[in-house]
Amino acid sequence: MRTSPPNIRSIGRGSTAVTAAALALALTACGGGSGGGNASSGSKVDPSAVKAALDQPAEITFWTWVPNIAKTVDLFEKKYPNIKVDVVNVGESKDQYTKLTGALKAGKGAPDVAQIEYSALPQFALTESLVNLADYGAAGLKDAFAPSAWSQVNVAGGIYGVPQDTGPMAMFYRKDIFQKLGAAPPKTWEEFTAIAKRIHDADPSVFMTFADPSDSGSASSMIADLGGKPFAVDGTDVKVDLKGDAGTKAYADLFGQLIKDKLVDGNASFTSDWFQSITAGKYAVWMTGAWAPAVLDKYLPGGKGQWGVAPMPGGVSAENGGSAVAVTTQARNKEASVAFSEWLNSDPEAVKSLNAEVGLFPATKAILDDPAFRSAELPYFPGEKPNEVFADMSKAVRPGFQYLPYQVYADSIFKDTVGQAIQHAGDLNAALAAWQDRLKTYGKEQGFTVK
Amino acid sequence: MSVDASTRIPEARSRPRKAIRPLSRRPRRRAKSTALTVAMGLMLVYTLIPLVWLFISATKSNRTLFDSPGLWFGDGFHLFSNIHDVLTYDDGIYLRWFGNTLLYSVVGAGGAALIATMGGYALAKFDFVGRRFLSALVLGAISIPATAIAVPTYLLFTDMGIVNTPWAVLLPSLASPFGLYLMQVYARDAVPDAMLEAARIDGAGELRIFFTIALRPLVPGFVTVLLFTLVATWNNYFLPLIVLNDPDLFPLTVGLHQWNTMAQGGGGAGTPTLPLVLTGSLLAILPLIAAFLFLQRFWQSGLTAGGVKQ
Repeated sequence: MRTSPPNIRSIGRGSTAVTAAALALALTACGGGSGGGNASSGSKVDPSAVKAALDQPAEITFWTWVPNIAKTVDLFEKKYPNIKVDVVNVGESKDQYTKLTGALKAGKGAPDVAQIEYSALPQFALTESLVNLADYGAAGLKDAFAPSAWSQVNVAGGIYGVPQDTGPMAMFYRKDIFQKLGAAPPKTWEEFTAIAKRIHDADPSVFMTFADPSDSGSASSMIADLGGKPFAVDGTDVKVDLKGDAGTKAYADLFGQLIKDKLVDGNASFTSDWFQSITAGKYAVWMTGAWAPAVLDKYLPGGKGQWGVAPMPGGVSAENGGSAVAVTTQARNKEASVAFSEWLNSDPEAVKSLNAEVGLFPATKAILDDPAFRSAELPYFPGEKPNEVFADMSKAVRPGFQYLPYQVYADSIFKDTVGQAIQHAGDLNAALAAWQDRLKTYGKEQGFTVK
Repeated sequence: MSVDASTRIPEARSRPRKAIRPLSRRPRRRAKSTALTVAMGLMLVYTLIPLVWLFISATKSNRTLFDSPGLWFGDGFHLFSNIHDVLTYDDGIYLRWFGNTLLYSVVGAGGAALIATMGGYALAKFDFVGRRFLSALVLGAISIPATAIAVPTYLLFTDMGIVNTPWAVLLPSLASPFGLYLMQVYARDAVPDAMLEAARIDGAGELRIFFTIALRPLVPGFVTVLLFTLVATWNNYFLPLIVLNDPDLFPLTVGLHQWNTMAQGGGGAGTPTLPLVLTGSLLAILPLIAAFLFLQRFWQSGLTAGGVKQ
């Protein structure tokens, strides 16, 4: 499931006034600091109390926008009948964050448990809106999760969520386009550029791929994939380095050139135009998170059998999208909320259901290493073993990429800066510098020490 | 409508006859009106294309949505099965949203129009201390976009404990500074002072005067404000987005947006929601079109009523 990027886009399409007000709300909550009130850091809770809470009567409100997740929650309620879980979809991603920050700032109205994307987790963790699960013994779950997933909930010096799904990037490619050229999917970025030229020469209406001018998430993932670490957070010290960071520059040089040479098309994904383009075979590859099969299956049913899955060029990957499940400081019954979050995302029965019934790409080793999972044939990809590629890519995720503690804001201004260069084939390096300037200014305004 | 047309056309015809103009000027006149017609035609096409696109898209199945041209039909006519899907998805939540929108806009717009009419009448016809200040305040309020005060509104409502209740949407909808201003200007001319004086001399109370005498000439203005506020509340998006958390309270705008983001997010397994968004949007605009067709006769007379000085 794609959970990171679309939110930004959807709000970005609205009027600027709306965006500004939404941000103002988020900002107010940030400025409020101790948002939800009593932060829990410091007070350790006996892990056995968490376990015991499962058998006590409790009510949990769970905000999530994952469709069909009620199926997995039903399993929980069946197993622990004393606990009632109310699953509420208040909106996706950004919409939910606006409500969540509002409720946290107001001191009431927040859910007990909430789905939060990895990119937004630092923001909520730093405003002390979330329970540090380390105080509830969550560190013991470390070995259950893929390192790339676990590292993303380890933010702000604590554990602020239980990984639910991940999106290691892989390269989806149109088999017919590559076959016509007699080419194999590129294994390196040099091959990538060379094949891009051949594809475009053979048919100028076909592009190697597209770059999304409104989606900060996919650009960040490409930067991470190429070794970039433009952001670093240590307490309230923030580093923004989109100008000098080597990996970021590698991204800008590579994609800047590809866009300039018209080998990569600037097109916002998930728009009507994009769906039309990808259906018509305008793009030879789509580099994206392992949640993409659900999108292809649902909205491009005619493309069944057309697509193959290959590792990312260069053999390393990055996370694109994915969410954690976090417990808010307003949770009425923290022990039960923690226990529920842990069960939902690490119990063998639950994670199987999340994958098979809900369609999420797993974050747990138990599934990622399961031979049955790896060799499973997905109906959309006859003759392929996509899960094997995804699971390998999950292991090949470059460690250490961090998000800003105000990533939601950063994402929202992406299209005004970097997005412009992508759309109009401008200077990507200069655009990244412009993004950096605005991020530094904003960070200082928010009270961070920005370097 | 028909009465309007029959009275207007002879008038229009008689004009060239009355003023005989040099021959050389005639073609220019005609060219001018052709240009105007063409311009209006273009405007018409411009406004209709999105609606045509929406209608055509609503007839497509998920499979043909993107492999057929946007402005022409795909394989088969799936409008009715799409409508069925919209009405049954997620236990028929769409109907619930539809009812919510209906409630918010009927109560909100009706209430706003009534309050604006009463307030505008009061500002126009009563002389009291602070009247000019209040007028200025209303004028100033028009210039503040609703989105700018959304956040303070939210925090205020939290203190009042009405976040996530219908009141959080209804209360702000009841205030329409623009409507109030419009009614103030309108009432000044539409309700003759002599009529009010006569009523007062006959011993009628102020409330009775308003409801039985003043309201009648104010109806065109009232309907105008009603139409404006109806459109505003029917399309109200940002306020309910931030003050409502319970999907059962969502209006159509927020609900459809949720379906749309679900589609954009891939959304794991399950029903593709994009065709639902399209067909749901089509259904959502029908009541507004009906309201306009029904109320436009009032609106037309309302727009011209202030044009003649008595």
